[in-house]
Amino acid sequence: MSQQTVVELKHVTKKIRSKTIIDDISFNVFSGEVFGFLGPNGAGKTTTIRMIVGLMKLSSGDIIVNGKSVKDDFEGAVQHVGAIVENPEMYKFMSGYKNLIHYSRMYKGISKEKIDEVVKLVGLEKRINDKVKTYSLGMRQRLGIAQSLLHDPKVLILDEPTNGLDPAGIREIRDYIRRLARERDMAVIVSSHLLSEMEMMCDRIGIIQNGKLKDVQLIEDFVGNQSHVYKIEISGAAQIADSMRQAFPAFEIKLVQDDLLINCKKEEIPAIIKWCVEEGLSVFGAAKAAKSLEDRFLEVTSEQKGEPAHV
Amino acid sequence: MFNLMRNEWMKLFSRAATYVMIGAVVLAAIAATVIMLFINSIGEDQNQTWQEQLQADNARLEQMIETGEAGFMGDDPAERIAINEYALENDIAPNTMDTFWSYLENSTFLISLIGLFAIVVASGIVASEFSWGTIKLLMIRPIARWKILLSKFITVGAFGLCLVAITAVISVILGLIFFDPGSSVRLVFEDGQVVEKSMAAYVVRLYLFNSLDVIMLTTMAFMISAVFRNSSLAIGISLFLLFVGGTATGFIAAYYDWAKYSLFANTNLSQYEMNMPIVDGMTMQFSIIMLVIYFAVFMTLAFTVFTKRDIAS
Repeated sequence: MSQQTVVELKHVTKKIRSKTIIDDISFNVFSGEVFGFLGPNGAGKTTTIRMIVGLMKLSSGDIIVNGKSVKDDFEGAVQHVGAIVENPEMYKFMSGYKNLIHYSRMYKGISKEKIDEVVKLVGLEKRINDKVKTYSLGMRQRLGIAQSLLHDPKVLILDEPTNGLDPAGIREIRDYIRRLARERDMAVIVSSHLLSEMEMMCDRIGIIQNGKLKDVQLIEDFVGNQSHVYKIEISGAAQIADSMRQAFPAFEIKLVQDDLLINCKKEEIPAIIKWCVEEGLSVFGAAKAAKSLEDRFLEVTSEQKGEPAHV
Repeated sequence: MFNLMRNEWMKLFSRAATYVMIGAVVLAAIAATVIMLFINSIGEDQNQTWQEQLQADNARLEQMIETGEAGFMGDDPAERIAINEYALENDIAPNTMDTFWSYLENSTFLISLIGLFAIVVASGIVASEFSWGTIKLLMIRPIARWKILLSKFITVGAFGLCLVAITAVISVILGLIFFDPGSSVRLVFEDGQVVEKSMAAYVVRLYLFNSLDVIMLTTMAFMISAVFRNSSLAIGISLFLLFVGGTATGFIAAYYDWAKYSLFANTNLSQYEMNMPIVDGMTMQFSIIMLVIYFAVFMTLAFTVFTKRDIAS
């Protein structure tokens, strides 16, 4: 694979006083991929991101960005990182353009052309000379992305990038992110607690809960690759579930709301439907129910003793 | 570093409050002139010449020496007589209220106003980045934290100097227009004889001495801003001390000797010029050392806390 490791977290631990906020997290992020960092609120996503960008110090472990340690060579490491941490807070009393000038002065050799190019990329040409306080949340988010791309970073870190955006805005941001990873071979780290979002945007996801990394998987492996579940929409599902279990003891049959979820092979579906018809039930539909990320997420996070996942 | 300062300057001058401060300083400088002109106009007309006034003054001083009355101004009547005689002999008119130099001498209160604004800026320059949330995007750049903080401190200093320059230019121009030039020679009694000194140097020194407490308080406000990340706290404490610190220290110093280690006992260096230190036995050297120590403590606190502490929400 031509992918190279751009960000490497090695046994990262953060303690605040005696409380362990982040507990021994290790994972790698490769160039050209979108890595999703998923977890309930307060799980430690933002803390981890703050440690990668140097806002917080590590208690132990190390973070390597493009071969440089955040601990030993902060300036060397962070110059390849572009980021938005939480909301993209800008200087509201200045124009978007002045905000970009401000950040561009903090790197070596960013030309005016580069600023214009970035402005064009995020589609803010018309409003860039207006004060940021007149911007909508979506525009601020785009300006945030613009400032993070000024120095052509190898890693782009976006903390909850779609937070508070309307569906059109969410889609727009998602498309940007995918494009950046594909066209510029950037490594993109995105954090979110919105599962459906991550499913559409990420190549791999890491699930974090209570400061521990539970799982890192390719998104297809994570969602798919499970035994197939079929959803049968049927009248009187609640009453029929038990007799159906008796009729088909080999299958796992679950009652979810008014539908039956049956874990079986594709060839066996006609037999089930036939049985239903013979029983005089009305079958409204039968379809393969792909296990969504949400289900998996709840599964993974609820393996932790009884801690309810906040979704 | 230069780019960082340009950034700070740009942020400072993108806000209306900054222009209000500059406007207020300009107005105050003009108001100072108007008030001085007004005071001079209601003062009773002296129909004596300055020579006659000095002779009268001398006669009064001689009487004081005879009766053994102590000079309550701290200076020796004999010295005053010597200075007055020297002025009469060499035909050097003393500066009265309506001269340019007295006008400058009496305008030192403008320093407090500038100090007030410098404190406001120093209090906000770090803390505001925290309250706006912009600190996060500021600190993820490949620039050491101490450089960012230093650029902010220098910017505060530059802004203060900028206000001083504006005030100085306006005061000098208005002073030259509305007041008599007066004498640029200042007579002092030194080592048993009267010496001619430059009036300009005296005025500059006077302003410098008066600036010390606001410079120290601005540094303190900056420190509080960087350590506690709270601009109201920084403004509150610093302004409170600016207005009552000197007076309170005066009271404490009257009863306790340890007051000499406090900041305000040392900021007023003109106490040595006038030979009345706030606590007996204090010297100029002692005060300068104390000021350097305070400054170093403020700076160390600001820089260590700012560079070490995590930026959490």
